[in-house]
Amino acid sequence: MNRSILVNPYVLIAPGFLLAAFIILWPLYELGTIATHEVNRFGQLRGFSGLDNFMSVIRDPEFLGALGRTGIWTLAIVGGAIVIGLPVAMILNEDFYGRSVARVIVMLPWAVSLTMTAIVWRWALNGESGMLNSGLRAVGVLDANVQWLAQAATAFPVQIMIGILVTLPFAITIFLGGLSSIPDDLYEAAKLEGANGWQIFREITLPLLKPFINIAVVMNTIYVFNSFPIIWATTQGGPANSTDILVTYLYKLGFRFGRLGDASALSIMMFALLLLFTIIYVRLAMRGERS
Amino acid sequence: MSLDAIKKATLAGAALSLMAGAAQAQSVRVTVAEYSSLTGPYFQEAAAAFEEETGTAVEIEVVPWDVLLQKLTTDISGGVNADLSIIGTRWLIDFVSEGIAAPLDDMMDADLTDRFIPAFLEPSVMDGQTYGLPIAASARAMYYNTELMEEAGVEAVPETWEELVAAAEQISALDDETFGFGLQGNEIETDVYFYYALWSYGGELIEEDGTSGLDSEAAYEAAALYKSMIDEGLTQPGVTSYSREDVQNLFKQGRVGMMITAPFLSNQIADEVPDLPYGVAAIPAGPDGDRGTYGVTDSIIMFENAQNKEGAMEFLNFIFSPEWRVRFSEGEGFLPVLTAVAEDPAFAEDPDLSQFTGLLPDARFAPVIPGWEEIAAITSDALQTIYLGDGEIEPTLNEAAERINAILQ
Repeated sequence: MNRSILVNPYVLIAPGFLLAAFIILWPLYELGTIATHEVNRFGQLRGFSGLDNFMSVIRDPEFLGALGRTGIWTLAIVGGAIVIGLPVAMILNEDFYGRSVARVIVMLPWAVSLTMTAIVWRWALNGESGMLNSGLRAVGVLDANVQWLAQAATAFPVQIMIGILVTLPFAITIFLGGLSSIPDDLYEAAKLEGANGWQIFREITLPLLKPFINIAVVMNTIYVFNSFPIIWATTQGGPANSTDILVTYLYKLGFRFGRLGDASALSIMMFALLLLFTIIYVRLAMRGERS
Repeated sequence: MSLDAIKKATLAGAALSLMAGAAQAQSVRVTVAEYSSLTGPYFQEAAAAFEEETGTAVEIEVVPWDVLLQKLTTDISGGVNADLSIIGTRWLIDFVSEGIAAPLDDMMDADLTDRFIPAFLEPSVMDGQTYGLPIAASARAMYYNTELMEEAGVEAVPETWEELVAAAEQISALDDETFGFGLQGNEIETDVYFYYALWSYGGELIEEDGTSGLDSEAAYEAAALYKSMIDEGLTQPGVTSYSREDVQNLFKQGRVGMMITAPFLSNQIADEVPDLPYGVAAIPAGPDGDRGTYGVTDSIIMFENAQNKEGAMEFLNFIFSPEWRVRFSEGEGFLPVLTAVAEDPAFAEDPDLSQFTGLLPDARFAPVIPGWEEIAAITSDALQTIYLGDGEIEPTLNEAAERINAILQ
C-alpha cells in the first residue's frame, strides 16, 4: 500500500512542534541573548558580557531567600492539593444525592480569575476591616485582630493556603478521571475477599491512580512554581522581601529596577530548574511503572 | 522550524504592522497613565476636540499606573512605543541618558514654556534642555480629623512632631478602634512616608558628598520616632500591611486622627464621605523647625523615535491650554502646573489646595539619579524591617545606606 506523505508521523507532529517552537524556543533564544549582554533598562543591547548577569543574580542576597521560599511554596501547595484533593475526589466519585452539585461547587474556584481571588483574599485578610478577622472574632476564635499580611510568619502560610485552595479543582479533576477508569469489579472482588476500606485504598485505588497522581504532580509543579498573582496581589513579596518567591523577585528585577539583563538570566535559570525537575520526576515515575 | 523560517515569519509580521503604521502616519499616539476613572474620558475628549480643530487624529492608550513602566519598557525594547507618553519624572533621567526622550526646546514656543509654574517645570529640565512637560503635580500635607481631635481634647493642630505624638496619644486613648496617626508601611511610597520625618529632623536623601543620608543621625531619629509610635500603639496595628490607600481608607472611616498624603484625598472624601470633618495642615516640623514635603510631578515626554513629532508638539500645546488644564486638575485633584490655572478661582479659593500650594517652597523632589526605584525599594525594605522589629534601627539603616551607596557610585 502506498502511504501518503501526509500521514508520515513527522509531518503530523510538525504543526504542533512549529507552534511550540514559536512560543517557546524563540523567546528562549531572545532571553539568552539579553542574558549574555549588557543591556539598558529598556532592553536595548549594549555589549556582550558573558555570564556576568548570571553571577550578579546568584550574588544577590535576596535570590537565595526567594529560591528557598519557592521550594517551600511549590512543595506545600502541590503536596497539600494532592493530600486534600485525593479524599475529596474519592468522595465525589461515590454515588450520593446531590453529587453533581457538589462537583460544581468544588470546581467553582477554577472559574474565577486567580488575580481576582487573590484580591478578594487581600480584602478578607485586612487587619482592621477584613472578613476573616471579624468572622473569627464572632465565633470566638480570636479576641484581638490579627494583622495577617503584616509579617511573613502569618502572610506566607495564608498565601500557601490560598494557593492550595485554587489548585484543588485541577487536582480533583485529574483524580476523578483516574478514579472513573478503575473497573468496579476490582472493588467487588476485593470486598468478596473481605478486604477493608484501607486495604482497598492501598492495594487497588492508590496503585491504579499512580499515573494520574504523577500527572497532577508534574503539571501542578510547573504551574505553581511560576504562580505570580497570589503573592503579588496580597503582599507584593513584602514586607522586606520576606514573602518573595522567584517569579515576584523576577518581576521586581525586570520591571521595577530595570535590570533586564539580570531578569533574563534569572528567567533562564528558572526555566532550567523546572525542566530539570520535570525530567527527573518523569524518569523516576516511568522507572517505577516499568518495574 | 529553521531560523530562516522564523525570520521570514517575523518579517512578514513586521511588514504588516508597518503597513498599518503608514496608513495612520498622520495620527499621534499617546500613552497616558490612569490616575482615576476620569483620566481616560478626559483624554479621549481632548483628543476629539484636537482632531476637530486641526484634523490630526490622536490615539489614546490608557494604562494603569502600576504597569506603566512595564508597558513602556516592553514597548521601547520592541520599538513600538507611542509618540508621547506620561512618565514619572523620577524615571526621566533613565529615558534621557538612553536617548529615548527627545529634547523639546527647539520645538517649543517661548510662550508655552512661560505658562508653567517654574518649580514644576524644573524637575523635567536636564542639562539645560527641557525633556518633559509636567502633566500632573502634587505635594503632600497632613490631613486631620477635626471631630476626633475635638473628642480627644486636642486643642491645636500639631505644628511639630512632638505635638503630633501628644495628639496621637490623646486620640488613640479614645477607644481600641481609633488610632492617632496613620502610618504607611507597605507598597509604593513606604520610603516617602519616612522622608517626611527625615526632612523634619534635617536629614537629606542624598548628602552633599553624594552618599545616602540613611546612615545619618537625622535618619536614626526619624526612624526611632516612627518605631516608638508603633510600639506605643499610636498608629494602626500591623503597619507593614498598610499601603497608602489602606491608610486613606482608615482615615475615610474616621478611625485615624492624622495622616500625610496627597491632595487627591480631598476629592475622594468629597465623593465618598462628604460628611467627614477634616482639615489640611502643613507636615509637622522637627526640633529645629525643619520641614519638608514631597513634591511629585509626572511629565509627558516625546520619544526620540516619534513618527509625528510636529503633530505631537501641537497636541501638547493644545492640552496645556488653561481651559483643558483646569478641567484636568479639578477632576483628578492635582495641583495646578500652569500659572493661569493657579490663579483660577476654582483653585485659588480652595482652602485645601491653598495649604498644599503654601508648602511648595519646602517641596523636595525625588533626586534625579538613575536607579532611583531600586534605592526606594531598599529604603522601604529597611523600614519594614525596623517597623516589624526584625532589626535594630542603626545597623539596619547603615546596611541599607551601604547598598544604596553601591548603586550611587
